[in-house]
Amino acid sequence: MAIVTSRSKTALLWTVVKYGLLVIGAIIMVAPFIDMFLGALRTPAERLARPPIYWPRDPQWINFKRVFTEMPTLVWLRNSVIVTLAVTALQILTSSMAGYALAKYRFAGANMMFRTVLGAQMFPFFLFIIPIFFILRYFPLIGGNDLLGQGGMGFLNSYSAIILPFAVSWYGIFLMRQFFMGVPDELLDAARLDGAGEFRIFFVIVLPLVLPGLATLAIFVFVYQWNEVIWTMTITRTAPDLQTLPVGIFLLRGAFTEEATQSLQQAAVAVSVLPVMLTFLLLQRYYVRGLTAGSVKG
Amino acid sequence: MTDRTDPSAMPATPAPRVFDEDPVRPTLGQRISSKKVAPWLFMAPVIAFGLIFFILPIFYAAFISLTRWNSLTPPKFVGLANYKYLLTIDPRFWDTFWNTAYFAAGSLAIGIPIAMILAYAFTRAWGQAFWRSIYWLPMITNVVAVAYIWKFLLDDSFGLINQALGFLGLPGPGWLTNPDIAMLSTILVFVWMQLGHNMLLFSAGLASIDDSYYEAARLDGANETQVFLRITVPLLKPTILFVLITNFITGLSYFTLMLVLTQGGPLGKTTVTALYMYDMAFADLRMGRASAAAYILFFFILIVTIIQLRIFRRGGVDAH
Repeated sequence: MAIVTSRSKTALLWTVVKYGLLVIGAIIMVAPFIDMFLGALRTPAERLARPPIYWPRDPQWINFKRVFTEMPTLVWLRNSVIVTLAVTALQILTSSMAGYALAKYRFAGANMMFRTVLGAQMFPFFLFIIPIFFILRYFPLIGGNDLLGQGGMGFLNSYSAIILPFAVSWYGIFLMRQFFMGVPDELLDAARLDGAGEFRIFFVIVLPLVLPGLATLAIFVFVYQWNEVIWTMTITRTAPDLQTLPVGIFLLRGAFTEEATQSLQQAAVAVSVLPVMLTFLLLQRYYVRGLTAGSVKG
Repeated sequence: MTDRTDPSAMPATPAPRVFDEDPVRPTLGQRISSKKVAPWLFMAPVIAFGLIFFILPIFYAAFISLTRWNSLTPPKFVGLANYKYLLTIDPRFWDTFWNTAYFAAGSLAIGIPIAMILAYAFTRAWGQAFWRSIYWLPMITNVVAVAYIWKFLLDDSFGLINQALGFLGLPGPGWLTNPDIAMLSTILVFVWMQLGHNMLLFSAGLASIDDSYYEAARLDGANETQVFLRITVPLLKPTILFVLITNFITGLSYFTLMLVLTQGGPLGKTTVTALYMYDMAFADLRMGRASAAAYILFFFILIVTIIQLRIFRRGGVDAH
């Protein structure tokens, strides 16, 4: 009897420790967002008081409107939407086509290509920033360039420069291949016997079967691309019309050196976070799959 | 792509077909959508983009690294001079290299134990979707937002953290302004960003441990701490190795947070090699030297990766 009580005591203690840790961690995860949100609602006077007033007494909800009227936020938002949707659509198309070929066909070089898909993921992004910048700059016959890539600006100062380097994702191909492996070969053979061509089989029969996979890839790419900063900033530093939300906010930081104006900056940051947060909270189960697929099998 | 299968969309076939001579001769449309040709068409976009944005840049970067080039005048071939300068003369390169190692190792040392313990609690807690949503918020937040959120929190005099420390009577350090602490602060912010991702990997590993091990241990009278150290940790070894090594490699190539949070300061103490390379290229317009720095860092990461694969094989991790 004594053993049982001491056991249930340890079990209770463990439960307390378990949820205690999770709650402390959760506070550390969420509190910074609340701090940003409260900051966005402060008046300049509250910011300039010494010490500053933490809880806004007169919440400036209008800051969320001013973000759109006094800053180029609408342009940034439009660019973020265009770039993110374009990259997501392109990656869904290229990844599913290539993933399907690698999962369901035997052809010369298939093995080599699959190895390339795996190996390419090990190349860090920083290695590509400089060469891709100049490949886009000197791309022949684009943006006023002649055959040798001279005379114009190539793809620079266009959406293509932001989008094209992300049109293909090695990870996306790998992920889609995993999903296509689950489609039975018999189904394809039956369709072939019925006289369906390979493209009809792919677009009409197979793709609808891997819709959950496509959703996983889509949400994954959406979150990644909405948050992409390094490349977009490199390519749009001199093209304010093409900057996305995070990049625009960062490059406009010089406008917020005055403490009184920083509520507006924090409001803009909140606006940049919100679309992804909502998408994510609605579709998070697809995101889980994208992160775990193929990472650990041990 | 679909219209390729439609023969009417193709250019008219020249000679009229004589069906009784060659009854099974396929049309162009049929040939294109045959099992032989179709995979190549499915692969075509990836091959084209892979050549332009993967293969070509690798060689182009190697070429640029052998030149002196400010991107305005034609490049001048200088052989290995850039590599020699960075490795033997440049007073800053090795500083940035050690900053990189400090960042990568520090984010492991702090981030992995926290992620593992929280994942252990998370896997056995009610309301997984709830906890998951909370712990993943930082991971899906763009890095500019992360940087500005923490800039305000870590502000020397009026940030929430130093205000709280002051309330407790403790002197708050200059988190982002003190050269001795700035990198540690950056690491802590990075750990905050990455925690959800690592927790997810650990909880996937934990879920794969069979419950019978735990039951057997409990029947033998083991307590929670013993179960965690004697059962969970050893059985989780492949996952731990995987997370350690992928995190280390990510840490070595990472520089976005430093770029937007500290711009490499104060006194260059948060300038990692990748950020040094980026500034050399796009602030100083030294494309050749920057490409050489990128390649040196890449080779270092490659060596780490090869060692990783060895350890993986020995540690029983069945991942690519």
